[in-house]
Amino acid sequence: MPVIEVDQLARSYRSGSRFSRGARTEVEAVRGISFEVEPGELFGLLGPNGAGKTTTIKMLITLLLPTGGSARVLGYDVVADPREVRRRIGYVFGGDKGLYERLSGYDNLRYFAELYGVPPREQRQRIAELLDLVGLTGKEGQRVEGYSRGMRQRLHIARGLLHKPDVLFLDEPSIGIDPVGARELRETVAALVSTGTTVLLTTHYMFEDDELCDRIAVIAGGAILAEGTPEQLKSRVADGHVVEIEVFDGVDDRIDAVRAIAGVTSVGVESSDRSQLLVVRTAAAAQVTPAVLAALEGRSLGRVATREPTLEDAYVELVRDA
Amino acid sequence: MTAALRIFFFGGITSYRALFHWLTPWILIPTFIVEPIFQVLFFAFVGRDAGVGDDSFYLIGNAVQFAAIPCLFAMGNTIGNERYTQTLGLLLASPARRLPLFLGRALPVIINGFCVSLVVLVLGALVLRVHIPAEAWVPIVGVLVVTSFSCTGLGLATAALALRVRETAVLSNIIIGILIVFCGVNVPLSALPAWMSTISYVLPLTHGIEAARDLAGGASWSAVTGLVATEALIGVVYAALGMAMLFALEVESRRHASLELA
Repeated sequence: MPVIEVDQLARSYRSGSRFSRGARTEVEAVRGISFEVEPGELFGLLGPNGAGKTTTIKMLITLLLPTGGSARVLGYDVVADPREVRRRIGYVFGGDKGLYERLSGYDNLRYFAELYGVPPREQRQRIAELLDLVGLTGKEGQRVEGYSRGMRQRLHIARGLLHKPDVLFLDEPSIGIDPVGARELRETVAALVSTGTTVLLTTHYMFEDDELCDRIAVIAGGAILAEGTPEQLKSRVADGHVVEIEVFDGVDDRIDAVRAIAGVTSVGVESSDRSQLLVVRTAAAAQVTPAVLAALEGRSLGRVATREPTLEDAYVELVRDA
Repeated sequence: MTAALRIFFFGGITSYRALFHWLTPWILIPTFIVEPIFQVLFFAFVGRDAGVGDDSFYLIGNAVQFAAIPCLFAMGNTIGNERYTQTLGLLLASPARRLPLFLGRALPVIINGFCVSLVVLVLGALVLRVHIPAEAWVPIVGVLVVTSFSCTGLGLATAALALRVRETAVLSNIIIGILIVFCGVNVPLSALPAWMSTISYVLPLTHGIEAARDLAGGASWSAVTGLVATEALIGVVYAALGMAMLFALEVESRRHASLELA
């Protein structure tokens, strides 16, 4: 039986104040999505900001009622049996907040251990295990206000695991963490999954999903655009390739010309301090490099490279078409 | 101890430590000792100069009233600040039973209100040389406990609004003003317009202040039990109203997404 069953789940909000002159509008944050997560699976919800990822998680952890469809976690309906769902799940979100700054890391964990009904005689050992797992042993006596962002995020993870949840919801857990911290976090998540914990992870970092997830659903505009393993998603663009050209003196005025070249499926630009990187995705068997270079004639060019598509390319294709 | 009792006691104290941001000597001492003493002195000297009331009247009125400051603001902080720390969503996503979870937060607040009231009463009596009979102190302490409880009940009702609105301190300030004017703190109820004194009877403080004044004036405990019981009943009603609001607003937050999570 799937651990998470989502069937035509929908949620709309009313925006605007009832006291303001402007008309109140209905915003559909999640538009009838469906997916299932199997036991022990690490399932990724991948999408841009505002895609509906957090709204979906809020409904699954019982903080928000759906306006349509249904969802069950471990067989319990998130609307009808919220307390049964809450007992069995953990929830961790990214960012600086969500901890009691004036309390020590240990007291934060102890308080949530009480809220989740961890028996008093088990609390000390459980907290010690988790502090060890997230690398905060020896720091637990410090007030959280003195913790770095990475330490806070690791404490969040420990908090979410106190009651040994069957399912862990991770809502953009690596947001704002430095690369080393993010790598450690991914290792922690991978270790959790290896112990049998089912994880639903939302992120907009492709490499995170690519490295960690068994399956991914790409979500944008409140709808699921594609679902599958990272390899399956990559295969959607695998028969094409990607040309990257470094341009030093501006490329914005040539994008339309590049886009018009036969065989080009999409064009993106990544800007840095010194240059812009033109990313041209092509259809299968298309040899577009000479035509692209011709379109950039007169510009100061740097590195020109051709590579295989990544999950990010598949994601960009999907989200661009949404 | 059961899980619910542990959440009530341990959880209540932890929330108070975590979220009541006045718990630093730089705020605590001026707010809970210095300012109340100045307020007592101000009204006592105004009363002396105007030839109305005696020092005891103003001392007891203001000392008891000062229980309301921590009871309203600390209660508001321990629930409202969950929004600022963005722990409110985590709290509501937990399976913890709501009654001990929120009611437990009231316990340290009651103790805080009682301590402030007692300290102001003792220091004020020493500074103003107000004589309170030795046998009256124990029953007055009882009145202060009950009054702190009733003020905390009102605090719980206002704090519940934190599940719907971001700012509860503004409301607490307004309520403090209402309590000072309506509850006979510095003006006898008999001197208030009839409609104001009528309202005062459903507010915390009114009966507690009257009971404490009667005790300081030589009345026996049995003579004030009616007042004390009424004060306690008012506290129970407001606390029940607060819990009902917390339950209702939690349901509403799930329906209308009124919580800020992250």
